[in-house]
Amino acid sequence: MITTPRRRQAASALLALGTMLSAGACTVANSGPEPSSGAAASTVRIVLPEEPPTLEPCDASLTATGRVTRANITEALTERDPASGQLQPALATEWKQDSENEWTFTLRQGVKFHDGTAFDAKAAAFSIDRTVNSKIDCNVKGYVFGGIELTATAVDASTLKVKTAKPDPILPLRLSFVEIVPATTSATAKVREPVGTGPYKIAKWDTGRSLRLERFSGYWGKAPDFAAADYVWRAEGSIRAAMIQSDEADVAIGLAPEDGAGEAAVQFPNNETSYLRIDAAKPPLNDIRVRQAINYAIDKNGLVASVFAGLGKPAGQIVPEGVTGHSTAIQPWPFDMAQAKKLIAEAKADGVPTDTPITIIGRNGIYPKAAESMEVVQNALIEAGLSVKIQMLDVNAWLEYLLAPFPKDAGPTLLQAQHGNQAGDAAFTMGQIYGSKGAQSSYGTKELDELISAAEQASGEERQAAFAKALEYQNKEVVRDAVMAHMTGILALSKKVTYKPNAATNDEMRLAEMHPAG
Amino acid sequence: MLTFLRRRITSSAIPLVVVILGVFCLARLTGDPANLYLPLSATPEMRAEFAARHGFDQPLLVQFGDYLAQVVRLDFGESLRTAEPAATAVLRAFPATLQLAGATMILAILGAVVVGSWAAYRPNSVADRVASFTSTTAASMPDFWFAIMGVLVFAVALGWLPTSGTVGAAAWVLPVLTLLIRPFGVLVQVVRGAMVSALSAPYIKVARSKGAGEVRVVFGHALRNAAPPALTVAGDLTVGLVNGAVVVETIFGWPGIGKLMITSILQRDFAVLQAAVLVTAVTIFALNIVIDACYALLDSRVRQGVTA
Repeated sequence: MITTPRRRQAASALLALGTMLSAGACTVANSGPEPSSGAAASTVRIVLPEEPPTLEPCDASLTATGRVTRANITEALTERDPASGQLQPALATEWKQDSENEWTFTLRQGVKFHDGTAFDAKAAAFSIDRTVNSKIDCNVKGYVFGGIELTATAVDASTLKVKTAKPDPILPLRLSFVEIVPATTSATAKVREPVGTGPYKIAKWDTGRSLRLERFSGYWGKAPDFAAADYVWRAEGSIRAAMIQSDEADVAIGLAPEDGAGEAAVQFPNNETSYLRIDAAKPPLNDIRVRQAINYAIDKNGLVASVFAGLGKPAGQIVPEGVTGHSTAIQPWPFDMAQAKKLIAEAKADGVPTDTPITIIGRNGIYPKAAESMEVVQNALIEAGLSVKIQMLDVNAWLEYLLAPFPKDAGPTLLQAQHGNQAGDAAFTMGQIYGSKGAQSSYGTKELDELISAAEQASGEERQAAFAKALEYQNKEVVRDAVMAHMTGILALSKKVTYKPNAATNDEMRLAEMHPAG
Repeated sequence: MLTFLRRRITSSAIPLVVVILGVFCLARLTGDPANLYLPLSATPEMRAEFAARHGFDQPLLVQFGDYLAQVVRLDFGESLRTAEPAATAVLRAFPATLQLAGATMILAILGAVVVGSWAAYRPNSVADRVASFTSTTAASMPDFWFAIMGVLVFAVALGWLPTSGTVGAAAWVLPVLTLLIRPFGVLVQVVRGAMVSALSAPYIKVARSKGAGEVRVVFGHALRNAAPPALTVAGDLTVGLVNGAVVVETIFGWPGIGKLMITSILQRDFAVLQAAVLVTAVTIFALNIVIDACYALLDSRVRQGVTA
């Protein structure tokens, strides 16, 4: 039996627990500057799908990092206009190619970092070297530079020379991904809170809860309208949309049609193209007639209109308009089920094993209605005469199929994929996706490899024409994939803010382009 | 009592080692982190460098040995994703979950004791039927649906509460209510059942015949004997919450351990995942020991059984 002193002990323990929880509650409740409906008008409140893992500038090609860091906290030497595709001055005012392997950049003067130090050629050289040659696994290094060898040298305070081991006609474009940091930044470890030259500096990052940026008074350019930006993150899209309606946020990104943003929703081309990668090395997909039939069987217009709720544009090539190399000659494959059936029947008559089960490897959440869209494709291909099943995977398992080396025991597959070309040049698409040895390529041809290689060496108008030619060859002679649509993103805006999203918005959300309404 | 505790702690050590080993091995079965942390176009050389830098190129046994040596020094390694110490991420998230779980269970237990006792006091009365209907509905409520509806009604339509977040007392209402509703429903049913049996026991009639007041009869005599089954169920429910309320943490943007673990699994952030599971497992073992100790305090037969 429990004695009276024990009851007292139990009561004390309960009281202590309650006190601890109350104290803890206060701790959580008061721990961050998370914005609420009472935020000042001079602050723009943004809700993201996820917290940036870090704000490391050399990882700015990661969407979660780049959309906060790029052009807000840090800046690059050059920047690409997402509308025109033209390269524009940023921290470099001009550049010229001295020889095939050497470029000179003239740097902007009077620019200061957030810590008060001056921006100069030494900082630029250090930033390039840190991104390209360090051992800190910079995402930009893999995404933009691959195995390119280069050295950057400060000639004087405002002149920078960059030498490459091999000719690189798009070096200034590649450098638009190198965010500039002071030379005092660690070159041996990633930084979570960088110092940059951008219009905003980090005021407070309450990890897990919120991030606040404040206007940098020493910014070299035009001061942005909002004095501060408060970021929070909510994984659930309907909550992000609800935060606009309940006046808890001004900008919500990464929404789907079913999230219910209503009149606050704004559509924009999000620079992504959905496609099916055809495993063309395995029967029956190794027969070009079967691959053509797959393209004829998919009703892209119907898919966009019904499954994607009109968000998107039927596509015939993997790079959208505005990217160097986009071919105006390529149109989406027409929907022609009769032709698809005919091609399958012909292949079957010639001994192609068209009844071999083909697996669609899908990825949950790769875009809105991902599973439903694959069901539509499956039904169409079955109707055309193929045997098709679907396997929906999470991102980790799906990556095993996306990246070489591929699972050896997998039969013929159609991989649900989506590709975004942030850089604006087909060089960042063609080799890795269509080259025989590309990281994401399951099939290629010698002829296509040669066309890609030639395009990569070209510059100017020749470059555009060469990549377009490679894309046209792929579409006509190789048919390695079934491109479905150039996708459309949705963000929501409160009535307090005006912002015009563009093709780069998914990857960089410029606070300076947001303005108070009215 | 000390013997009882000693035995429980000793018997918990073996499952803890199994958990550590299991998480270490299972995490590595999810695939190569380089696929996630390097861009899709990364060269094979970059992938090899990445693996070497993080020790993923070593045999699994060597990796496990290194990990154990680190754990002994309370060094859980660095997050691949956020470049901060794994222990920092875990110790930041875990209190948020504990506070949410604690607040939820205190309210659920208090509410269930009052409503369950009220229902059991007059079985088959209107009050009993209302309590049974309410508790059954609550116990069957999908938390995801309840959370979203709560946001739509109380945040968007009425504007009384924030949609999500952790700022201010109002931000606690919807997450706690969402977490509370199922444990409350289950506990009301358990308390009611146990109290109906207890209130019909002979010692209750003796207590009443001696002139004890009804409050003392219900809460002083019957509830003490009805407590052990409720405690067992409450313990299980608490363990579930301490393990992370993933749905609630995801919907309401609550920076807790459940969300952290899911993110770590999806991102193959091995160091954070291992640290999170270890800290959670130790807490759950400790919680089970506390529950067993409470059980022993409430029922002398448990103590005697252990010490005999």
